[in-house]
Amino acid sequence: MFKIITKADIILFIILILIGIGLSWFSIAGSVTGQKAVVTVAGKTYGTYSLSQNQTVTIKQNGHTNKFSIKNGYVQMTYSDCKNQICVNKGKINQTSQSIVCLPNKVVITIQGGDSKYDAVSN
Amino acid sequence: MMQSPTDRSGLRTRRLTMSAMFATLALIFTYVEFLIPYSVGIPGVKLGLANLVIIIALYKMDFKYAMTINLLRIGLSGLLFSGVFAMLYSLCGGVISLIVMWLLSRSGRFSMIGVSMAGGVAHNFGQLIIAAVVVSNIKMFVYFPILVFSGIGAGICIGITAYILNKKMPAQLFK
Repeated sequence: MFKIITKADIILFIILILIGIGLSWFSIAGSVTGQKAVVTVAGKTYGTYSLSQNQTVTIKQNGHTNKFSIKNGYVQMTYSDCKNQICVNKGKINQTSQSIVCLPNKVVITIQGGDSKYDAVSN
Repeated sequence: MMQSPTDRSGLRTRRLTMSAMFATLALIFTYVEFLIPYSVGIPGVKLGLANLVIIIALYKMDFKYAMTINLLRIGLSGLLFSGVFAMLYSLCGGVISLIVMWLLSRSGRFSMIGVSMAGGVAHNFGQLIIAAVVVSNIKMFVYFPILVFSGIGAGICIGITAYILNKKMPAQLFK
C-alpha cells in the first residue's frame, strides 16, 4: 500500500507542512491583545469601536444585518442574517491576529492593537 | 494497431457516456457534502468528495474531459444548491486545483496521493483568493494555515481512495 508513495510525494508533503507551520507562526507571532475593533464592509471601513467599552453594535448595509457585541474586551458576532452562520459560531476574539468574517454579508471585524503613541501623533 | 473510424466513434461514445456519469456522480457527491453540516467553524474545511471523481477522470481520460466534468459540476451545483455567489468560490478553487493536479500528474513524479494532496491545498488557496477579493481584505489569509493543513488531510484521504478505485476500475471502459 505504502509503496505507491513516491519520493516527490514526500518532498511535497514536507514542503506543504512547512508552509503551513510557517504561515501559522507568521500570523500568530506579534499577536497581542487588541484595543479596538475595526469593522469593514466590502473593504470599506464601517466603524472603529473601543474594546474597553461594553456595547452592542448593529451593522446594517445593503439589506443585510449583522450584530456584534463588545464585552470585557472581547468581540463576538451575536447575530447575522446570513445562511451559514460561520461568523456567529466563530465565538469571541480579542487578539490582533484574529478576525471574524461574514462572507455572505461581506463583513469583516478585525482587532487592532493599541499603538497609542502613533494614534496620538496622527491625532 | 490502426483504429477504424467505427472504433474511434465507439471510443467517443464511451467517453461521452462516462463523462456524463462522472458529472452526475460529482454532482451527487457535492450534494452529499452539502447535506452534512460542518461545525468546525472555519469556512472551507471539507473533504471535497467531488474531487474523487475529478481526479479519476483526469487519470482515466484526460485534462479536457476532467475540466468539462468539473465545470459542469460547479455550474450545476451552483444553480441547484449553493447559489450563484458561492459558485464563484468553487469555480476558482476547482479550476486552480485541477490545473495543479494536471501539471503534477503530467510530470510523472507524483503518485495520485501527492497529486490529490496538492489539489486539495490549491483548491483552498483558490477559494481564499476569491474570499479576499470579495471582502477586499487581505486579512482573510489568516485562515490560510488551517486551510493548508485541511487541504493536505482531505487530499491524502481522497488520493488513497482514488488510487484504490483507479486500480479496480476496468480500463476498457475508457478505451
